[in-house]
Amino acid sequence: MTGAEGFISKPKGFLPRREIMVAIIVLALLIFLLMNRGMPLVLTILIQIAIFAIITMSLNFEVGYTGIPQFGRVLAVIAGAFAVGAIPGRLLAMFMGLPWGASYANNAVNYKLVPQLNEVLAGSWLLSVGFLLLCLLMAAACGAGIGWLMSRPAIRLKEAYLGISMLAFGDFAMWVGHNWEPLVGGSTGVYVPDPFRVVYGARFQVVVITIFVFALLIYLFINKLVKSPFGRSLKMVRDNDVSAAAAGKDIVKIRTQSLVVGAALAAVGGGLWVIYTGTVTAFGFSRLVFTFWPWAFMMLGGIGSNTGVVLGVSLLQILRTMITTYRFQLFGFLIAWKIDPIHLDHMLLGVVIVVVVLFLPHGLVPENVEPVLPANRVRRVITDGLEPSKPAVNRPLS
Amino acid sequence: MAPWLASGFIYASALALTAGGITLLYMSTRTFNFAHASMATCGFYVVYTGCALYGGAPYRYLPLAFLFGALLGVICYFGLNRHLLRRGAAEITLMMSTLGYDLILLSVIQMYCDYLTFGLRLYPRRVSMSVYDFELFGTKAASIILPLIAIVFITALHLFLVKTKFGVAMRATIENPVLAGASGINSDRVYMTSWIIGGGMASLGGAAMAMAMTGTPVMGMTTIPFMFAGAILGGLHSLYGGILGGFVVGMAEYAGVFALSKQFGPWVLGYRMGIPLLLMVFIMLVFPRGLAGIPWAALFGRLTGKKRGVSA
Amino acid sequence: MLTVKNLNAGYGKLQVLYDVSIEVPGKGITVVVGPNGAGKTTLLCSIMGIANVFSGEVLFEGAPITGQLSYMLAKKGISYVPQMGNVFAELTVMDNLQMAGYLMARDEVKHKAEQMTEMFPVLKKFIDRKAVTLSGGERRMLAVAMGLMKNPKLMLLDELSTDLAPIIAERVMLEVARLRDELGITILFVEQMAKRALEIGDTAYLLVSGGLKFAGKACDLLHEPELAGLYLGIKQAPAGGPVQIIPSSEGSG
Repeated sequence: MTGAEGFISKPKGFLPRREIMVAIIVLALLIFLLMNRGMPLVLTILIQIAIFAIITMSLNFEVGYTGIPQFGRVLAVIAGAFAVGAIPGRLLAMFMGLPWGASYANNAVNYKLVPQLNEVLAGSWLLSVGFLLLCLLMAAACGAGIGWLMSRPAIRLKEAYLGISMLAFGDFAMWVGHNWEPLVGGSTGVYVPDPFRVVYGARFQVVVITIFVFALLIYLFINKLVKSPFGRSLKMVRDNDVSAAAAGKDIVKIRTQSLVVGAALAAVGGGLWVIYTGTVTAFGFSRLVFTFWPWAFMMLGGIGSNTGVVLGVSLLQILRTMITTYRFQLFGFLIAWKIDPIHLDHMLLGVVIVVVVLFLPHGLVPENVEPVLPANRVRRVITDGLEPSKPAVNRPLS
Repeated sequence: MAPWLASGFIYASALALTAGGITLLYMSTRTFNFAHASMATCGFYVVYTGCALYGGAPYRYLPLAFLFGALLGVICYFGLNRHLLRRGAAEITLMMSTLGYDLILLSVIQMYCDYLTFGLRLYPRRVSMSVYDFELFGTKAASIILPLIAIVFITALHLFLVKTKFGVAMRATIENPVLAGASGINSDRVYMTSWIIGGGMASLGGAAMAMAMTGTPVMGMTTIPFMFAGAILGGLHSLYGGILGGFVVGMAEYAGVFALSKQFGPWVLGYRMGIPLLLMVFIMLVFPRGLAGIPWAALFGRLTGKKRGVSA
Repeated sequence: MLTVKNLNAGYGKLQVLYDVSIEVPGKGITVVVGPNGAGKTTLLCSIMGIANVFSGEVLFEGAPITGQLSYMLAKKGISYVPQMGNVFAELTVMDNLQMAGYLMARDEVKHKAEQMTEMFPVLKKFIDRKAVTLSGGERRMLAVAMGLMKNPKLMLLDELSTDLAPIIAERVMLEVARLRDELGITILFVEQMAKRALEIGDTAYLLVSGGLKFAGKACDLLHEPELAGLYLGIKQAPAGGPVQIIPSSEGSG
């Protein structure tokens, strides 16, 4: 049969392994190019890459591996950011006998209170590390909770309906944060106690390293997870939920688990982001930045490919920084018309999405289709039928 | 008319138009159009530019806004949507492609605002369009004229879809593209017309919306969840359902917030957007197919005693 | 009139038809029969430009029409009655007929629609009702009427007997035969109810698993003991006796 070759062979990758290495070298060169603008800029890019890699990987986990149209990524990020902004600082203030109730988030109280907390944190390594872990734990827990809540309608709603409802709730969460002062200080926001105060001179570098370590851990965790039986169930639900249900998979449960895990990871990303910036302001968490950008990164990298996602984030973030940094040199002609080239940032993302959709539907690194049986055996089964000597399925399908 | 009611009518008419456009596009091309956000903003800026540079009432620029939105729709169709439809792309891909288009439009709008600000010394980033409005029967003219325009437009659209040959062909293609093609209907032309009408409705709605709220470059971006909510409330498979859904969402937002803030105090105003969302969730949990999916005929048929489906 | 040469076709990457060649002579009924999943509908779809043609050629009156969009084929005088979704459910019967005559002038449509309602009186009764309210048989009538609206040179009919009661299916078959005899239309007829179809058909093709197994006169296939028995469930009676039908695989899909 001629059809057999088609479905065993892997989709032709735009970027096989070696090219990924080349791409990384190119990225490194681009970063080097930016270095003459000063080390802080490079470190900022690195932090942004790591944070958005975490968020985009979590998005990819839900979209690419489970097939949930997650248009409300910002909701989980907000859960993490608000959790870090609202809970750990309060706990610390409570133990120190400082005001920790609704007034903690009041701007007038907060801007005097947090420096006091910072002094305490600066004095003790143990407390600082504990505080950082507490922050991330809180973020992950709140994220998981939000993910579970999101999964409730997910049982009933179909594709577009689900995506749009999640988008709307992401916006709603932002408005709640903006209006309800006791949560994260309303429109003025709150400061986040800084667990990195303990390393005086090298705060920036330590922050970069910490965030990178977390990004790496999450990368490895997702890679491990999608290769496990659970990961195969996810893909099964994604590819054909009816057949997955027929094979005995509890689709509702699998979708719920995926949403919970994805939201928890995204919340960790949001938590790290506010620990790095030191403040939480509700309006800083827009759907554009924390939902649509990750979608663009993911589509460029390749939906369903963890490595591709990281590549997509790095490439686009560096390009964006290039545009904003060198905008006056590169786009002088716009200045003549009194237009600030900074708006090309959105243009870049829009054009990338359009180009990817039209010409690169599988992204830079297409998903690796891994047959459960080795390819030569699948081919033999197709051409000759199952060998009678062996049992039909000698490895469980999932 | 009380000011909140006047604004409510304007806003609800605007949402009815935009939500109707979203529904029409979804029905005909399976595309959930994110670009509706920036198309609406473009409509507003067309009217604003006209008023600011050439003066006069904003209403005279509405046809221009419609045409501009239609142009944006046609560009989207020929540049993006057509290729993806031919390829048989998935719904999510279609949706994402319009998101890309939306971001491009957003960037162009921002640049245009820069040009207006620094080139022409205008203040386009926070615009209150009501200063260009006049009074009619002791209330904002917009609160009477815009709902009327919406009604006239929707009636015209209805007549087009029911009475004209091409309108019926559009409905036929939406329902069954294969059979429509075999009957000799060029689906390409039908989809293009949907984008013309849908884009035009988006811009018209955006221009109307700016009469009820502050016009900014991200106006469409902030209100798109409500446009979607309206379309989803309508159920996504009936144009009239979408229009009704948009109107209900708009009215619920204004009237609901007004009622609640009288009851509980002004802090409720900050959570305005929660009301249409709750409404949407409630309707969807009870009637997963939206307003159009509610068996109206069965409900009212029972009341009037009319029998359905007399089959030979 | 219609020639299909070495057609390989399918959907996306999935190939359904393998090297199929058929010839539809003018002014007659060509029947394509075969078991479920043989690719009969796909054959019609690839002629109409709905399925993907990988290789091969389709000629209509000598001119290649391979892969042309269906509305262009409609202009050339081919009409197609699909198996499923062959009427516009949300439109009235009259609108359905008008849509079928989309390419014709207004008064011509009117005239032709009157002719159709005379031919199928049941449609006249329900002319202002939505097609969705019609029964299965009435809908099938409407579908055939829509196919005939534009005076086609060639009509592609897909599984007319689906969801019809056997008696009505029989009547529809006779209707098809009448179309050929009275209007002189060329018909390419795909059918599962093989025996009846072969009885009214002139030329016949047997399609099995995407490949041709038989090409020739319809009556020859009907009396070909091995093929008819194996693939169509037509049991050959002892010499001279009436033809029998195995009920389990007949007219069920």
